[in-house]
Amino acid sequence: MASSTTIRELQRDLENKANDLSKLQKDIAKNHQVRKKYTIQLGENELVLKELDLLSEGANVYKLIGPVLVKQDLAEANANVRKRIDYISAELKRLDATVRDLEEKQNSKRDAVLKLQQRIQSLQAGKAKA
Amino acid sequence: MDETLKKGSVTPLSCMFPVDEAQKAAKRVEDSITEKQKELGSLKDFISDNTSLINLVTELPDELHHDIMVPFGKAAFFPGRLIHTNEFMVLLGEGYYAERTCKQTIEILKRRGKALDSQVESLQANLKDLRAEALFFNATASESAEGLVEIREDYVDENGGQTGQKSGTEDEQVTVEDDEYARIMSRLDELEKEELAAEDESQSDEDEHANTVDSHDASEKEKQSGAGDSNSNIQTSSEMWELEHQLKQGYPTTRVLSNKDSNKPNLTEQLSSSGLEVGPIPKDENYATQNVVSLPHQKDLLLPKVGEEVKEVSLSRKEAFTGSILERSDEMPSNAQMQKQTLQTPLEASKPRFDSSKAFTGSIVERTTNVQTDPIAGSSKLSTAQPSRPVSRFKQQRR
Repeated sequence: MASSTTIRELQRDLENKANDLSKLQKDIAKNHQVRKKYTIQLGENELVLKELDLLSEGANVYKLIGPVLVKQDLAEANANVRKRIDYISAELKRLDATVRDLEEKQNSKRDAVLKLQQRIQSLQAGKAKA
Repeated sequence: MDETLKKGSVTPLSCMFPVDEAQKAAKRVEDSITEKQKELGSLKDFISDNTSLINLVTELPDELHHDIMVPFGKAAFFPGRLIHTNEFMVLLGEGYYAERTCKQTIEILKRRGKALDSQVESLQANLKDLRAEALFFNATASESAEGLVEIREDYVDENGGQTGQKSGTEDEQVTVEDDEYARIMSRLDELEKEELAAEDESQSDEDEHANTVDSHDASEKEKQSGAGDSNSNIQTSSEMWELEHQLKQGYPTTRVLSNKDSNKPNLTEQLSSSGLEVGPIPKDENYATQNVVSLPHQKDLLLPKVGEEVKEVSLSRKEAFTGSILERSDEMPSNAQMQKQTLQTPLEASKPRFDSSKAFTGSIVERTTNVQTDPIAGSSKLSTAQPSRPVSRFKQQRR
């Protein structure tokens, strides 16, 4: 009877681990989505920077803030866009790191789950034989 | 059939790639394809929007002012007039606007169009890859559903192991290489005649014929149980040396030992089987190619492939054939040995390696010397039921 209780415990453990694993997977998916968003923004900003670089010195540049267009200096706008690009790249790097971390965790969790499954199977097989 | 099991493994493709798994993978790829196609569609929309916008912008400064309906809220319009037709406020992205003239605007729009084009290109390349992947997955799924099997076989440097094999495509193969078959047969007939003549000279040949019916499995066992009584030490040590040398050229040392002790019955087996049933030879070729050959249920699917293989092998065989005869005719002391030699060669030649046949000459030499001294050899062969003895038999012989 002792074996049956251990099996039950193992199964509970397995369930917990599986839940953790699915949570991790969800996190990873979310991370990927955020990452996608940032990449799109990065592309857009680079486009803006290119256009701003092409503008001549005296051109009027406005920034849409809420409902109003605010006139901005070209150099200022340029600097702002550059800053924004830097920020987004940093963010992307951070996201990459977290994704890697999460994936590592996921792999280890998966291994643990597999091991648990094997143990349960072997236990059950032993029980069936006995 | 158990020979085949020994030599290689037959795995159903559905074992490695379960049907539903392959289908799942195929479905996932299909999904991503449709996603990408949607993306591609939206990009194309952007491009057409962009071109129409360019057209509009080029036309606007043609007039000093345009009468238009100005949208007011969601549902209402009121009549208005568009003035300053050469001044545009262009959204650069991220909330930045720039005041531009018509020409400058068009330039910006054209640059944007180029960016879109490059995006479309990369997306199309991506789609192409995905399509290839989907094709592969679908093929795998259907193949494993059909019950394709993968046949994997190790290259075994031994004649005897091959003769017993049967393959499902035997009939077709034989017809395919009819010419080859006839050629081999005539050659074998010749050799058989020679053998019959040689039979009078040496008793040893009787043994050969007595054994022709034995299954190959028996010969495998005999390798170990061997010609137990036949090792009277007639051989001079120099002979032994020579043998050992030759054998080592082609065989791993363990093989050498077992061959030396027992090759007599073993060889007779092989010889008889090669001489009397030529059928196996084409089969051998199929196996000797060693590639992973998948046998579908419909044998004819395999046929063209087999034909090619046969051609290849027959080429190499011819070379090996002549080569081995020339090489060995002077080495062989007796006529009977000669035939055995040549009988061996077709089988041997079906494998690309040369030194293996060389190794056989060695064993053959020894065999005759053994046999002549020992008439009981036949009986020893029949006692194949003995469990396999350790290889150290060779040492016993030396004592």
